[in-house]
Amino acid sequence: MDFVLLIQAILIGIFCYLGSVSSPWLMGVSGGYYVVGRPLVAGLIVGLILGDITTGIILGVAVQAAFIATISTGGTQNSEITYAAYGGIALGILTKAEPGVTVTLSVGIGALGLILHNVMMVTNSAWNKRADRAAENGDARGIILNNAFYPQIVNFLLRVVPVALAIYFGQGFVTKALDVIPGDVTHIMNVLGGLLPALGIALLMNLLIKDKFQLIFFLAGFVIIAFIVQNMIALTVIASLIAYVIYLGAGSSTHTETEDEVI
Amino acid sequence: MKKLDKKDLRKGWMSWAMYHLSSMSFEKLEAHGFAHSMIPILNKLYKDNPEEYKKALKRHSVFYNTEPQSGSLVNGIVASLEEEKANGKEIDDEMFHSVKTGIMGPIAGIGDSTIQGIIIPILLTIGMGISSNGNPLGVFVYIIGYLAIILSLSYFLYFRGYHLGVNAVDGLIGANSERLRNAFSVLGTLVIGGLAASFVHLTTPLKIPNGDESIELQKTLDGFFPGLLSLLAVLFCWYLISKKKYSGTKVLLILVAFSIIGVLLNIF
Repeated sequence: MDFVLLIQAILIGIFCYLGSVSSPWLMGVSGGYYVVGRPLVAGLIVGLILGDITTGIILGVAVQAAFIATISTGGTQNSEITYAAYGGIALGILTKAEPGVTVTLSVGIGALGLILHNVMMVTNSAWNKRADRAAENGDARGIILNNAFYPQIVNFLLRVVPVALAIYFGQGFVTKALDVIPGDVTHIMNVLGGLLPALGIALLMNLLIKDKFQLIFFLAGFVIIAFIVQNMIALTVIASLIAYVIYLGAGSSTHTETEDEVI
Repeated sequence: MKKLDKKDLRKGWMSWAMYHLSSMSFEKLEAHGFAHSMIPILNKLYKDNPEEYKKALKRHSVFYNTEPQSGSLVNGIVASLEEEKANGKEIDDEMFHSVKTGIMGPIAGIGDSTIQGIIIPILLTIGMGISSNGNPLGVFVYIIGYLAIILSLSYFLYFRGYHLGVNAVDGLIGANSERLRNAFSVLGTLVIGGLAASFVHLTTPLKIPNGDESIELQKTLDGFFPGLLSLLAVLFCWYLISKKKYSGTKVLLILVAFSIIGVLLNIF
């Protein structure tokens, strides 16, 4: 039994827990899900734990690109980004996989992770009922325990155990699998890695674009980056200018748009 | 006269900032996180009125969901309402519910699209640019940049909500906010257009025979519209999600199938 790897795998599992959407310990989602849970940050942390920071960060950047526009609204997601980041990047480093392969590993692990995340959402209903009862009895301590602590035991186990096991036992399996996989499959994984950001971006577009004429703003943003300047800061400044002009142009006249309730 | 001091409010903000989603479930989401965040406030206001204390805990344990970081505004507003109620103003549970449900939607709309749609992707893009060769500096730029922006915003909004009280509601659902939201959605749409151009990559190795030589299709495409295939891929996904109402998972599976078929046919 490889104790060093086991401890490394458990540590990575603990960070996967700290970066989860419902973990409160790093200022809720602010320092957890949106910082420790991002693949870019996971790359650094996993790299530190496994002793290869440079590879960790390079793989972190690759996985982050696939998840650049990942959104979760109202508790729904299409992939669990934290499982994807920690499981995928760790296996990527351990098996010396290429970035494209690591991205695909991450996406697969993220899909399995989503199931576990949903299991937690379901078991949390039981804690919710206890918190309700505590509220009816005026028991503040009961609310705190059932909101902040008990659900976290489930969340902790659902993250640390599977992630640590996947890393500990997955290394050999993934290495063997990569050896026998034909070149075409690696190529497919690379193509898929380039396409995946399109999904997150489409979900964001769905959130922002209410009227198909607004598609012109999306095209303008695309064209500015593709044709003029490959720099997001420059685009942000130009975009702020355009948004401000539109804000001024709209005046204070009241446009009554009835379909505004879709948010 | 009961008055919340800065210490109570700080505790209220802190409880919300940490525990907003810690017991998230499909049917309650942030309900008990909201109740949890009111405990420091209620401890002060209803110290010697257990009956009201109980009622207050109960009315804040109902379904609630918004973008939690910008949503601290709502917790601030509700804290000021509770303070008024504790001082004898006639405010019924219905009023609390309508304030909360009335603004959680608009806040989620602005918060999600600016935080997840603009702030995070832009900061990530900057960090990834610096870190693309394995340099940890870009990661720290993201971590420090995001925490500095979001924690000060969340703290500021909580106190702003407390000071404005219920007046903040008019500002949020009035005509002016409509204008503001439109401007933000334009900003967000432009930025994600840029993200699409930076991060989606689809190219073709196809060659078109032309006499003895052959023309590389990708070069021709790049000549008149760089990234055209990537753009079409995004528009295709958007069409499936917004017009065909496909779920994210379904589109993911379609992309997998698309990549497999494309590679096997040597199109990609």
